Amino acid sequence: MTRYILFRLLDAIPTVFLVLTLVFIAMRILPGDPALTALGPLADQAQLAIFRERMGLNDPLWLQYLKFLWDAVHLDFGTSLINDVPVRDLIIRNLPHTAYLTIVSVLMGLTVGIPLGVLAATNRNKPADHIVRLYSLIGYAIPDFYLAAVLLVVFSLKLGWFPINGAGHGFWDGLYHIILPAMTLALLKSAFLGRLTRTSLLEVLGRDFVRTARAKGASETRVVYKHGLRNALLPLSTGIGISILATLSGAVAIELIFNRPGIGRLLIDAIHERDYPVIQAGVMMFAFFVVIVNFIMDLVYVLVDPRIRMKS
Amino acid sequence: MITRRTLLGTAAAAAAVGVSAPALRAADADTLRFASSAGGPRKADPNYTTQGADNWHCTQMFEYLAAPEDGDFGKAPSDFQPWLAESWTTSDDAKTWVFTLRRGVQFHKGYGEMTADDVVHSFMRAMNDGVSTSNYINISDVTASATYEVTITLNNPDPLFLGSTIFTKNVMVVSKKAEEEKGEGFATDPIGTGPYKLDVFDTENGVFMSRHEDYWGEPANISKIECLYISDTTARTLALLSGEVDMIEGVRAPGWVPQIQNQKSDLLFDMTVPGSFNTLFFNLSKEPLQNIQVRKAIAHAINKQELVDALQPMARMVYSINPPSYPTGFELEELPEDLRYEYNPDLARELLADAGFPNGLTLPVNTSQREDYRSQHLIIQEQLRGSGINIDLTIMDHSAYHGSNRQNLNTLNINSSSLPPIPLYVYNNYAASAANMKDDSSGGANYSHYGVAMPGVDEKLEAMLQTTTFDEYVRVGREVELQIQRDLPMFGLPTLSYTVVRNPRIDLGYEVNGGYAYWRFCKASIVA
Repeated sequence: MTRYILFRLLDAIPTVFLVLTLVFIAMRILPGDPALTALGPLADQAQLAIFRERMGLNDPLWLQYLKFLWDAVHLDFGTSLINDVPVRDLIIRNLPHTAYLTIVSVLMGLTVGIPLGVLAATNRNKPADHIVRLYSLIGYAIPDFYLAAVLLVVFSLKLGWFPINGAGHGFWDGLYHIILPAMTLALLKSAFLGRLTRTSLLEVLGRDFVRTARAKGASETRVVYKHGLRNALLPLSTGIGISILATLSGAVAIELIFNRPGIGRLLIDAIHERDYPVIQAGVMMFAFFVVIVNFIMDLVYVLVDPRIRMKS
Repeated sequence: MITRRTLLGTAAAAAAVGVSAPALRAADADTLRFASSAGGPRKADPNYTTQGADNWHCTQMFEYLAAPEDGDFGKAPSDFQPWLAESWTTSDDAKTWVFTLRRGVQFHKGYGEMTADDVVHSFMRAMNDGVSTSNYINISDVTASATYEVTITLNNPDPLFLGSTIFTKNVMVVSKKAEEEKGEGFATDPIGTGPYKLDVFDTENGVFMSRHEDYWGEPANISKIECLYISDTTARTLALLSGEVDMIEGVRAPGWVPQIQNQKSDLLFDMTVPGSFNTLFFNLSKEPLQNIQVRKAIAHAINKQELVDALQPMARMVYSINPPSYPTGFELEELPEDLRYEYNPDLARELLADAGFPNGLTLPVNTSQREDYRSQHLIIQEQLRGSGINIDLTIMDHSAYHGSNRQNLNTLNINSSSLPPIPLYVYNNYAASAANMKDDSSGGANYSHYGVAMPGVDEKLEAMLQTTTFDEYVRVGREVELQIQRDLPMFGLPTLSYTVVRNPRIDLGYEVNGGYAYWRFCKASIVA
């Protein structure tokens, strides 16, 4: 098991390295001068030159790249070009918000999505199944930023039930502020997870051991939840992993629309401002997230399916 | 060995950690909340702010020696009134300015009384450091001639010194003692003399201020100010409509004002007139824009009135580079007929034919995705098509757009800047050969290469620099304006007001007519 974990961790290194390199190259290819963006279009030349020198923007690209890799290995992301704040501080301040949003929305998505999938699978081709499939279809089709705007207008502006922007103050206020953004992401996740649960469960419920369980007189609840859903967990866990990653990318739009602090909003602002160190650190954080989520899902496979454990 | 139970427990713990993530402050009732369209604050020191949104909190906390009435620019020396200086004198040659400081002005948070040393320090750092040092190269020396007296000596005369230098944010007065104590931390924890003092500078959420109880003037009515940052237009608009914020920065796009008025009819709109200059630069290094007939054809093919109508109520007509309300601006009837460039698509076609393009021409043009740039370029694209000029428009993100302009990659770029009524400042930035934009991004904002690709106005600008009276300054300035209009390296498009939408529960305490794209809240009160 330890060996398996070690191998998985080693697998992640080239992925992160590749992401870092691609981000570095992409940022330097993009038109736009960070000095000009930071100091404004009417900035004087002397100040622009000082800024470029101070931020190392005059160094040859290969030197900037080596410095960047060296600093990244030491988890030193440098200082923001725009406001001189250490990037590490920006990440530390924003990361919990994105993690919180992701966790809450995935939990909400699971809570809604899996029961919906079970409902659809156990009522195949009945009205409940049709409704769940329609819900899934809408969930697949609707963009997150559009749904966010609709929910904001209905629940915040018209009904006044939820706040429009910010992350709140303290535990309860924070919870109050996260409901609507998390619900936006959760509705989309639940559509995906509902569909996935339905398909997996239907596939399992058609197998011989389920027929045997029914023949032995097991109750339908026991058949569905104990034998069916438990065996449908493996494809479902893959779906949950994908869902978490999709939630992370969805958080970018949601943080902007709900004006919540977070890595997504930080990254978008940094891209507009050509704040290279923040972009690099932000993308690296997302890459780490992807690696960690994949790693956790690999562990979950091992737990869920003893056959994988035996092979490893 | 990780069990399912351990996994669930860990997940629950992770959720709990997430739940206790740091969060925003809540605001109380006696608070004015303003939201600008930027990602977050960068600096709170006026000498180092580089984004317009940061000027909103700086202007609440810092003050000038002299300034015009709230809600406007000073267009002539007589428009300025005492502020931190209670009086001033100038020499006949307009090169020596002596300011007598107001006594008893207290800095925030117990940093003591403002004296000449603080003022000298504020000027010296603007001249030697900060983001606009070149604005202050005309200053030869700044000395504390007495405890409450400052003498400023200039290299060249400047009859508009109060507007060109004193009323600029980099020389807003800061506490010398506080800056020496705080060092780099001063940029996010500054000390000024203004009616509000800084409480919290939060890069994620905004700048939070409270009333300066020892303020020398009339104390502020509202006890707290929150300058928030909501970059997304939808979120900002909804925050205003729901009452979560009191004022927001508007969007300068066609139809935006009527649209938001339909949502809430009692909203109030504060607009600076003229607001931002929108200047269309003809890149004289690109074929066929060297040909003045082509430039004239483009000018005649643009229907400015249509632009004004499309961008109502924010747009105002401009007939030359400076707007008519500025000292060297022209009204239409003041201009010679051949320099009015009135909309005439038939004449534009004739001029194109004379220039050797009887079948029209195509120009590649880059524009920004920002609403004001994009909408103007799109309207102009449509108008020019009517005269046989095809614009091959590429829309790019705002940084990339400015980057392409600075690398000489654009042909007909629009530059939008909120410029003060200081004609020499406008000309030095846009028309002087010293500001020529270079391919390696090292130049200034003279995107036309005026004065380099063709003779320019450098000599007239030098003459303007030597004038000692305001009347003479304006006379020479108008000659410069006419010369630019004649050479047509650039073309003034209608100005666009900087617009703030206000909830009627806030009475600003004065009317916004003009001025920079930020104003003070100390006279504001909550009326509902």
